[in-house]
Amino acid sequence: MSKPVTRQFLLYGSLLAGFALTPLALAAAEEAQAPALRELHELETQWDMLNQYCVGCHNTEDWAGSLAFDTLAPADVATNKAVFEKAIRKMRGRLMPPPGNDRPEEKVIDGFVAHMESYLDTLAAAEGSNPGHIAVHRLNRKEYAASLESILGVQVDAEALLPPDTVSDGFDNVANVLQVSPAFLEQYMSAARAISIKAVGEAAPAPDQASFEAPSLANQYRHVDGLPMGTRGGFAAEHYFPADGEYEFTASIASQEGSLHRSYPTWWLESEHRFILTLDGEEVYTTSLGGKADTDAVDLLQQPAITEIENRFAKIRLPVKAGHHTIGAAFVARTFAESDRIVDHLSPGEGMDNIPLVTGFKALGPFNPAGLDGVPSRSKIFSCYPENNDAERPCAEQIMSTLARQAFRRPLTEDDLGTLMGFYDSGQAQGGFETGIQKSIMAMLASTKFLYRAEPLPEDAVAGQAFPVTDIELASRLAFFLWSQGPDAELLNVAEAGQLKDSRVLQEQVGRMLADPRASALTENFAFQWLKINDIESIDPDPRLFPEFDKDLKAAFKQEMALFVDSILRDDRSVLDLLNAKHTYLNERLARHYGIESVRGSQFRRIDLVDERRWGLLGKGGLLLLTSYPNRTSPVLRGAYILETLIGTPPSAPPAGVETDLDTRPPGAAITTLRQRLEKHREQPSCNQCHGVMDPLGLALENFNAIGQWQDMDRYAGAPIDALGRLATGQPVSGPIDLREALLDRPDQFVQALTEKLMTFALGRTIEHFDMPIVRSVVKRAAADDYRFESIVLGIVESDAFQMKSLPVDETATATETLSLSKE
Amino acid sequence: MPVFITKKFLSRRTVLRGMGTTIALPFLDAMVPAATALAQTAAAAKPRMGFFYLPHGAIMRDWTPDIIGKDFDFKPILKPFEPYRNHVTVVSGLGNKPAQSSAVHAITPGTWLSCAPPRRSHAPFGGITADQVAAKHIGQDTALPSLEIATEEKGGSAACDGTYGCSFGNTISFSSPSSPLPMEFSPKKFFAKLFGEGTNDQERAMIANDYKSLLDMVMSETSSLKKGLGASDIAMLDGYLDSVREIERRVHNLESRDLSIYDLPELPVGIPNFDEHTRLMFDMMALAYQANMTRVVSFMMAAEVSNQAYTHIGIPDAFHPLSHHNNSAASIDKLSLLQTWHSQVIADFMGKLAAIPDGENSLLDNSMLLFGSNMSNSNNHDHFPLPSVVLGGGAGAIKGNQHLKYEDHTPVANLLLTMLQRAGVPVEQHGDSTGSFAEV
Repeated sequence: MSKPVTRQFLLYGSLLAGFALTPLALAAAEEAQAPALRELHELETQWDMLNQYCVGCHNTEDWAGSLAFDTLAPADVATNKAVFEKAIRKMRGRLMPPPGNDRPEEKVIDGFVAHMESYLDTLAAAEGSNPGHIAVHRLNRKEYAASLESILGVQVDAEALLPPDTVSDGFDNVANVLQVSPAFLEQYMSAARAISIKAVGEAAPAPDQASFEAPSLANQYRHVDGLPMGTRGGFAAEHYFPADGEYEFTASIASQEGSLHRSYPTWWLESEHRFILTLDGEEVYTTSLGGKADTDAVDLLQQPAITEIENRFAKIRLPVKAGHHTIGAAFVARTFAESDRIVDHLSPGEGMDNIPLVTGFKALGPFNPAGLDGVPSRSKIFSCYPENNDAERPCAEQIMSTLARQAFRRPLTEDDLGTLMGFYDSGQAQGGFETGIQKSIMAMLASTKFLYRAEPLPEDAVAGQAFPVTDIELASRLAFFLWSQGPDAELLNVAEAGQLKDSRVLQEQVGRMLADPRASALTENFAFQWLKINDIESIDPDPRLFPEFDKDLKAAFKQEMALFVDSILRDDRSVLDLLNAKHTYLNERLARHYGIESVRGSQFRRIDLVDERRWGLLGKGGLLLLTSYPNRTSPVLRGAYILETLIGTPPSAPPAGVETDLDTRPPGAAITTLRQRLEKHREQPSCNQCHGVMDPLGLALENFNAIGQWQDMDRYAGAPIDALGRLATGQPVSGPIDLREALLDRPDQFVQALTEKLMTFALGRTIEHFDMPIVRSVVKRAAADDYRFESIVLGIVESDAFQMKSLPVDETATATETLSLSKE
Repeated sequence: MPVFITKKFLSRRTVLRGMGTTIALPFLDAMVPAATALAQTAAAAKPRMGFFYLPHGAIMRDWTPDIIGKDFDFKPILKPFEPYRNHVTVVSGLGNKPAQSSAVHAITPGTWLSCAPPRRSHAPFGGITADQVAAKHIGQDTALPSLEIATEEKGGSAACDGTYGCSFGNTISFSSPSSPLPMEFSPKKFFAKLFGEGTNDQERAMIANDYKSLLDMVMSETSSLKKGLGASDIAMLDGYLDSVREIERRVHNLESRDLSIYDLPELPVGIPNFDEHTRLMFDMMALAYQANMTRVVSFMMAAEVSNQAYTHIGIPDAFHPLSHHNNSAASIDKLSLLQTWHSQVIADFMGKLAAIPDGENSLLDNSMLLFGSNMSNSNNHDHFPLPSVVLGGGAGAIKGNQHLKYEDHTPVANLLLTMLQRAGVPVEQHGDSTGSFAEV
């Protein structure tokens, strides 16, 4: 065994770097050790369990999991914290001792875990904080887009402009994996140029065309969100108009039967329909389609008549103000029963072939550009506008000082401004004042001062030595945590005044920021990644098995999740409501999917669910979909999801080379239920070790099919579904209600899982074993406050991990600590 | 000799609607066949290399020919290549030991071309990949030393791992042991990368000027940012500076071209369906080879742990779950069909290359493409025997019409080393290679 590694993390100020500890400090250190010694004695009383139930596999002969406990005594815990943090995580989730092995009574495991935690926590308190190291942070593309919207008032599609960010620990804001390659740099530079041009605006931009395709034709039979009530057969899309001027709109019209060219006779021209084009919901153009005249003309003249009809929908030239507008194209709704053609559809996309639909539209422009008054970013940028040549440079300095302070997230130096003004001057020489501003903004956006967050330490800092972050750094940490962007003017003012570390001021700021609309970033960036909600996008249920599933339903699943999670985080409710809340948000499509008849229309609205089975996350279609395969449910995925996401004890990956197919049936064999097939996992101890925990958890949700509908029968086996499951503790649970209540019986488990993830996101780094005492204290503190979300946020923000910084501890030292216990 | 790339060339497959204004393509000197003696020599000496990655292995029953040596038989998956028999070299018996780990999918893509075991940490550290070795030698005088492309933004969550993170699961290219290169999946961004920004000479010159002054700024800022940072952060910023220098080189290369105006098809927007997407990426790749914009392309034809359903060939199952076939005949047949589709798309691409003259030969004669996987039997997650086939004549450096069978578990690094050497890259070792193949 290697020599124990001891590390001391002392606050800067209590220790002068390079000086030895004073006798007084030593005495204080000893006193601090006293509670740890008491805890150590307590822990000794629990040690038997380890010998009795763990050493059978984890010993110096078998090295199960490359771990051996047989040569270890309680006194060795202090030098092997990482190992014991991992051990209690496995025990807390009851992944160890594995199912099928002898296990101590529940209270014995709980007792061991509690004593170990409390020993580790007192050790941490005695040794002082290790705030960990956060690598130089590059803005990821979400942060980039959010920053631009705040600083310049421009909306950018970061996914279209920038390369994807690497994910670590489930999040895309983990600093040490946000690498840069030439491709990144190239795209960030090109984005800086394009965005600066867009933000300042071009007086006479070349006409450009944008095309929009109907996201779904199947949903056009009813009202589509974004269009005026009483319309159908169309869709709406948002578009940025770069300048005031005229724009040409062209819509493509067809029916389920085909376009005007494809199918003759054109039944769908039988009745007259009124087409409307809308801008931000207001009708700006109308024409008609179909009716006797059109039908006769097409009958008699064919192509010339079709061309004439098409021209009504082509090159519709309209004046539009610059900025973002919603374009809508649709038909005014009329009765469905207007011909003897098929009147009702069997499933989305079938039937109703005599309804005209808008399959797409284009916007081309501007023509005759008439200024940039409507460009929203210009009002953000031009806080002054020079009336004569002499006023130009001072005004440019004023503009760039304001913008760059926010972009660089700190007070500007002369150097900062000098560089930016250099770009202004060369741009000004090229094309005047506005070109100068544009070039200067371009430089600001390509600057490392904008793209990177670095927290430098004193030159003589040594590894492991902790320093408080500056007020300005704290403001950035806070803003990127809660808003996924830099601080606003108010937060910067407070930080520059040196007040942010005042705990009352800090709490006020956290409260203010959580109430701000920008805090929706917590839902979209934190919660979506934690709950893996974006995975919904990549799952396409088998259309033969689930013909009713379509893109609209998928979008509705995601929207419900977003609104639901947001309502809990942003209303500062107890986070346990994520599991337990009876309210949700539905539109008609989703409500029907859940078997609720009372919701009408395409808008989402808050309702209270009568059906208790749908309460909380476990009843949400999105979650049930993302834990299924395209053709069936997966109790394994669902169990693993619950373990990892909701309980915080992820199961290990399956060993290499195992057979994982459960679905192939030998010819002639009887069809079995999934539960019966999962029994294969029991036959192999190596499978059962994890599946013995995962499968029973997932089976409790088996009544929800792969697209989240409730079902009582197994449609293949023809047998009723048995949703009897089991927690890792052995406690039986039947169905989602039981499972939910069982999870709520251990609120600390769920809240700790959430807190660890939230802290990973807050810091932008992997949570290490030395962070766990902080995590536990945040959870304890929140417990006293009904686990309200804000109290968890505050706990993290006020922790040393968030308030302090240090150089990375030598990697070899960390490695040694683990190696002392493991074989490799 | 087709000097111009006609509008039809790209738009035939592109059902993409776009911003209708046609954008201009710089009329690259390299597009003119035999513009200079130098160009001709370079084309002859430096083949176009391609590395086409298929996740989740292959059904080896339907891949490996029975006959060893010349005039071998084509099994179903390789059948689409039969018309190009003289440009097909099947290499059997290969394995990749460095890919072995319990993290399976999370390191399989990133070790295919590196043949180096990654370090156990979330911050990536593996080995430089063969495509990037090639790019450093034969790619430096093209506008883009290499291109890394994909058809899906990311794969399933198993492409990440608690020990190794996600760096090795989502790319097959590393420009250094710690620098994974992102794979571009958006046809639109791929297009812009190839044909650039700006619509005329004046605008292009302006853009180049902007970039040059930005790069100067970034260079000096990054150096001063290093103050007060730890060693790992400084190393990261050094990597950033390398990127800055690389972009400077590219800007210079683009500028030094003889630029004229040239019509291209509509700019693709959005992501088309999987079949169209894959073919579109190949179409643009052919254009990039033809215009000598790059000589090295790495293509992840599907994401690791992809849940892509191949409905266009009648397979509604998600790819990754299907790959755990448990020796079920039905699943194996579906997988084989799926893999054959990948071969077919590549064969169609070869057909295109065969029709494009390059110097005195065709682009196919001057290509050296590796198609394969870093997994063998997806049901076992094993890394032997790896499916590997070399396509193209390698500018005369690859014999073709051969099925070579080496001793079991010969490192696939040997094949990569052989390809690099035949492409004129002066290397003696790659990953865990033990030598190169004289027979290829």
